Amino acid sequence: MNPKSTKRIWSLIETNINHLVKRLGVIIAYLVLFTAGIEAAIVLLRYFVNVGSIAMQELVIYLHAIVFLACTSIALQMNRHVRVDIFYRSYSVTRKAWIDLFGTIFLLLPTCGFIFFSSWDYVLTSWSIREQSSDAGGLPTLYLLKTLILLFVVLLALQGIAEIIRALSIIESEKND
Amino acid sequence: MTEYYPALLMFLVVCGSLMLGYPVAFTLAGSSLICALIGASVGLFDATFLSAMPNKLFSIMTNQTLLAVPLFVLMGVTLERSKISESLLSSLGVLMQRLPAGLPISVILVGVLLAASTGIVGATVVTMGLLSMPTLLKQGYSPTLASGTICATGTLGQIIPPSIALILLGDVISNAYQQAQLNQGIYSPENISVGDLFVGAIIPGVTLVVCYILYVFLYTLFKNNKQNTALVAEHESKSSLAELLNALLPPLVLIILVLGSILAGIATTTEAASIGAVGALFLAAFKRLVTRKILREICLETALIASMVFMILIGAAVFSLVFRGFGGDELIHELFQSIPGGTFGATLAVMIAIFFLGFILDFIEITFIVIPLVGPALLSMGLDPIWLGILIAINLQTSFLTPPFGFALFYFRGVAPNTVSTAQIYKGVIPFIAIQIFVMILIAIFPGMATWLPSLIYQ
Repeated sequence: MNPKSTKRIWSLIETNINHLVKRLGVIIAYLVLFTAGIEAAIVLLRYFVNVGSIAMQELVIYLHAIVFLACTSIALQMNRHVRVDIFYRSYSVTRKAWIDLFGTIFLLLPTCGFIFFSSWDYVLTSWSIREQSSDAGGLPTLYLLKTLILLFVVLLALQGIAEIIRALSIIESEKND
Repeated sequence: MTEYYPALLMFLVVCGSLMLGYPVAFTLAGSSLICALIGASVGLFDATFLSAMPNKLFSIMTNQTLLAVPLFVLMGVTLERSKISESLLSSLGVLMQRLPAGLPISVILVGVLLAASTGIVGATVVTMGLLSMPTLLKQGYSPTLASGTICATGTLGQIIPPSIALILLGDVISNAYQQAQLNQGIYSPENISVGDLFVGAIIPGVTLVVCYILYVFLYTLFKNNKQNTALVAEHESKSSLAELLNALLPPLVLIILVLGSILAGIATTTEAASIGAVGALFLAAFKRLVTRKILREICLETALIASMVFMILIGAAVFSLVFRGFGGDELIHELFQSIPGGTFGATLAVMIAIFFLGFILDFIEITFIVIPLVGPALLSMGLDPIWLGILIAINLQTSFLTPPFGFALFYFRGVAPNTVSTAQIYKGVIPFIAIQIFVMILIAIFPGMATWLPSLIYQ
């Protein structure tokens, strides 16, 4: 395969990952409205009608977890994770790309791998017994909540791959100049 | 002491890695894991510590207190994006313009009301800078005063409830407090809540605000640098009273509703946050300030900030697991034993360390990394958790304001017009730093400033 078409394939992979993560992130972000709405409803119900619902309370937690676990990836894409940028801010574009490349390979991806493999049995055990909420009246789907941990790191690692391709193409284009 | 070298080395490696500039959350986790791998291969690290990871992750996901974070962010972002904050500032400016220093005072007051809800230093300083810097300069206030006021007010959001910073700190301090009591053999430990910290922050916060206002007022009065009084008079118009109330009242009522329900014990912090968020959304919708595009922005922005915060929390969790696996707890304990001056010496040392860490790390990182390490040791010495929390919050706020590394200054430099020199910004914040240090000493001498109100309300 000639180098040009290889490059096209890589950039196609990057674009597709970015699309997926962005689509997903933007849609899931709307859930913050439901998080706030249901939580507020819980307060009002308890205060005015004196009714409490553990299932509703848990639903809020589910929504909240879905939002921050899913949107971590789009935050990476949009460069919204805080950096200690005392030195970083003054670096050239290429140097920044080198740091992002290094960081993604040696810091981000190992973190994803660690969380994935250390949580695998934990999630599997939960599935095997179809784990339910420990509170009476709670949601019967605790195993699904725990599964989010795995989905979260897979999505994050995927975005990590896109970041590697992005950094490489910046470094590459600098070389050609 | 040699048995502590691995933990110390690991800590230094992680700090060094942070300097690279790769996102903090992943650097914390990644560099800790690399250390763990190396440590385990030479037999210095006990890998069983890492098996607690899924449980830790799960408890982060289901933490009821931290649920308040995205909710308050949602409230703050809604008020900002729907321009409610902006009209609040301009209306208050109109109301106060007859006063000497009217505009800077309104900047401080609006900062107090609204900065609190986003609680992230950068966001607040940038918003306030873009919003009020041009107006301040146009009205003839000196660039020094204007930039000092905006930077200081931007960081004030850290301590004024309901601030994100206090929520995070409250959660961490309450864990540290329980840990400290367990270590002392108290098996039915007392607890403190985020609400306690909010209440405790009221008197110190008000003291800071009053001092700020007093300074701005006296500065304008004596320096008499407000040349363009004519320009001000021009802006006055009688018809604006209704407009004024319209802009002022709703957000004020909202903030009072949120704080009031926490203070009155009707709602937990998280519940109050949801009321605040929904209230802000209704308010914006009622005023027809929300288009579909703005709603999309509000949701995305909230989700991004929440993800950023929680990812750091996850990274810090990995760090603390590895640090413990290297015997870090004993290291900290040993360090505290070796600091002269007992409790006072230890507290002072921690405060100084946090101040300098504030130059490189934001509030969230310090809260999640440093406080869990030093908190239990300090609180075992008999310090009051609320007092300690408030002191840490003001300390960090001061750190963010201090040249040349203060966070607030960097962010402000980014949005300040080029006619304002960096030296002017530095000069402008110095009086405010003096105020901060003064109030901190005051609280250190009179702990009642932080502890009296909570003890009164939660009797």
